[in-house]
Amino acid sequence: MPYGDTIPLHASSQSDIDEIENLINASIQSGPATVHPTRPLSPPRASIPVSSPFVASEISPQAYQKPPLVPPGVPPPASAAHRQNVGGGVGFGASPNTLTEPVWDTVKRDLSRIISNLKLVVFPNPNREDPGKALRDWDLWGPFFFIIFLGLTLSWSASVKKSEVFAVAFAVLAAGAVILTLNVLLLGGHIIFFQSLSLLGYCLFPLDAGAVICMLKNNAIIKLVVVSITLVWSSWAAYPFISAAVGPRRKALALYPVFLMYISVGFLIIAID
Amino acid sequence: MDRLQAPEENYANPKTCFFHVLFKAAALAFYILSALFVDNFVIIFVLTVFLAALDFWVVKNVSGRILVGLRWWNEINDQGESIWKFECLDQESLSRMNKKDSWLFWWTLYLTAAAWILLAIFSLIRFQADYLLVVGVCLTLSIANIIGFTKCRKDAKKQIQQFAQQTIASRVSSTIQSAFSVV
Repeated sequence: MPYGDTIPLHASSQSDIDEIENLINASIQSGPATVHPTRPLSPPRASIPVSSPFVASEISPQAYQKPPLVPPGVPPPASAAHRQNVGGGVGFGASPNTLTEPVWDTVKRDLSRIISNLKLVVFPNPNREDPGKALRDWDLWGPFFFIIFLGLTLSWSASVKKSEVFAVAFAVLAAGAVILTLNVLLLGGHIIFFQSLSLLGYCLFPLDAGAVICMLKNNAIIKLVVVSITLVWSSWAAYPFISAAVGPRRKALALYPVFLMYISVGFLIIAID
Repeated sequence: MDRLQAPEENYANPKTCFFHVLFKAAALAFYILSALFVDNFVIIFVLTVFLAALDFWVVKNVSGRILVGLRWWNEINDQGESIWKFECLDQESLSRMNKKDSWLFWWTLYLTAAAWILLAIFSLIRFQADYLLVVGVCLTLSIANIIGFTKCRKDAKKQIQQFAQQTIASRVSSTIQSAFSVV
């Protein structure tokens, strides 16, 4: 049978064809990687839609209200059972279909998590009553980008030995974050390893901005001023999380190495010629 | 008959398989070739690590879900403790997973880790600390994925066993009950 454009169709079959076309379009839009959820997930599992590489825990509430994009082939009883599982087996109120969600959803969720983490950590936030809870959905994409960006900026500003500068900057920042975290843990602090890594990485954002400005303006005094301001900003951002994690008598012991690391990065920025 | 059998022998999700392999192969290829042709360490580092990170994300979030129906992540609960969660699809869906897909998934994971270990040995022999850094990061990412998914699979197998036991137990009890009701 030739394609339907040229043959005048019966009225009812036209609407059927429209319906089928809509279903096809919907399934195409939901992305190349949708999987047919043939059965609902096994019941008592709390399925959290987490997806950034080193993964985070809670998803911001607005992600939950979005109904999961289910490919149109799912029979109605299965989707009703899906909803039952939502009521029964959900821990944090997340959508249960994260094992079968489209890829684009995962990407969007990750991006929004990075941005919300950045806003929480770095910018003055009146909602920051409990710093320990603030970085619950840690992710390591943000710190990764910031460290790489700082290394690239430093390497670009350097006129000689660019590779060494980059390698040293990256190694110092990465190893420094790990060691600082171990320091907090060894002081009897209550912080999760990856949470702290994520925090220290996000607090690099002001130093990144400072490094870019210093790269553009090579004046010594401007560099000094800019680096001091960003240094204070970074330390101010890191302070509540670290001090909340350790006991009151050990705060200085935990905070001093953090300041030291940021000061040394600041020197690196100033000293790059 | 051939038409019915042939789709079962092919990959069920060719695009996902392609992406699963693409970033791994790209990271390895770029690292190996660029060490020969490109002189700039910074570019090698950034691109290789970026490709490896993309690969980690793709394997963890896309191909793990789609090719083998497994997923793992970390949560921090209200008491501030970190919990690792492992999740798998239902038993019927798991058994319906394409064998070729899962074969490809696991083998490329192992092979990539082995390749990075080999490259690490090479850079150790040559005393190149900065290249060792690159290889170290990529190796960490590969091994993290392997550990996560292996734990997930063990968890899934345990679940299958429990499910089977429950089914057997319920069937036995229902048989006994029907036997008694007849008597």
